[in-house]
Amino acid sequence: MTIELSLYAVLVVAYFLIVLRLLNGILTRLFQSDLVTYAILGLGLVVTQGVLLEWVTSFILNRLKVERVE
Amino acid sequence: MEFHVAGVTVNPLFLVGIGFLVGILGGFFGVGGGFIAGPMMFWVGVPMHFVVGTDLAHMTGKSIVAAKRHRALGHVDIKLGLIMVLSTIAGVELGARIIEALKTTGNLDVVIGSVYVIILLIISGFTAWESLRALRMIRTDSLDIKDAVGFKGIAQRVHGIKLWPMISFPASGIASISLWIVLAVGFITGLLAGSLGVGGGFIRMPLLVYAVGIPTHVAVGTDLFEIMFSSGYGMLTHAIKGNVDVLMALVMHTGAAIGAQIGAVSTRFFIGPRIRLLFSILPLIGALLVLARLMNGAVTHF
Repeated sequence: MTIELSLYAVLVVAYFLIVLRLLNGILTRLFQSDLVTYAILGLGLVVTQGVLLEWVTSFILNRLKVERVE
Repeated sequence: MEFHVAGVTVNPLFLVGIGFLVGILGGFFGVGGGFIAGPMMFWVGVPMHFVVGTDLAHMTGKSIVAAKRHRALGHVDIKLGLIMVLSTIAGVELGARIIEALKTTGNLDVVIGSVYVIILLIISGFTAWESLRALRMIRTDSLDIKDAVGFKGIAQRVHGIKLWPMISFPASGIASISLWIVLAVGFITGLLAGSLGVGGGFIRMPLLVYAVGIPTHVAVGTDLFEIMFSSGYGMLTHAIKGNVDVLMALVMHTGAAIGAQIGAVSTRFFIGPRIRLLFSILPLIGALLVLARLMNGAVTHF
């Protein structure tokens, strides 16, 4: 359980570093210059993150033996 | 941390916390949780047009996963969901245009804030009253808890409206209902999604259960299926209008991914009217948060 929680903590920290630091500038510039591309890229990012995070959290919760509804 | 697009400074951990809370609500009640996330964002100083757009954006990723899960459980009436999508999108677009019009007049916060408070108070009061009534019926008449709906008469009257064309939804146990009723449910909830930034579940779910007359568990799954479209389209149209902070939405969604898992596990302990009774407290909290910001105008910093 300690290994899985540590893995999750590392993933969350890495995610925050990548998203908050890298994407902040890119998204701000795009928002100011091209709203259509900003909207499409935003939708893509949100959907991709949705699918990826579901996969990661499911994997970790399964490893922690937390039972799901299914 | 400053979110440059929305032009506000908010602690990202607070946003993760909001996401976590609405993730639990989504898994637990089958609603997007926008009616509580929106007021919380407004409370900490996010401008109302960004509350609306960003709230829809963060729900988009979450709803795809949640809808897929409920589809696997057989809780989604696809035919009903797809028909409602048509009018939902029309409603979302109208709502987004209302926001644009209010932005130009400068009354956005007061108008949308007041609408939020009124709708949330009505939903809270109605759902609490109905759930208590249904629970009393179970005790006195020994009804099956899944079938106990305090307002069964409304659904019967709605089914009695014979406005052509009539349509059936076998997956929801509905033999015949006017197509216009279904489209109206989609349009109303789409309008709320586009103008308030909510998935619309807090009003779509009661309408599907009380007015259309489908079982609660199918209402939950079909509602999430609808949220996927209303929030997805809503995010796109609001982003093009400059109302979405994508970064803020991504941060909120990290908390939602964990919360959704916990919420989904918890549903097994509460079924039928008990779900709805708990559900009634949440809109009340949302209304109080919006009122607090509107009354003193002060922003709570985190």
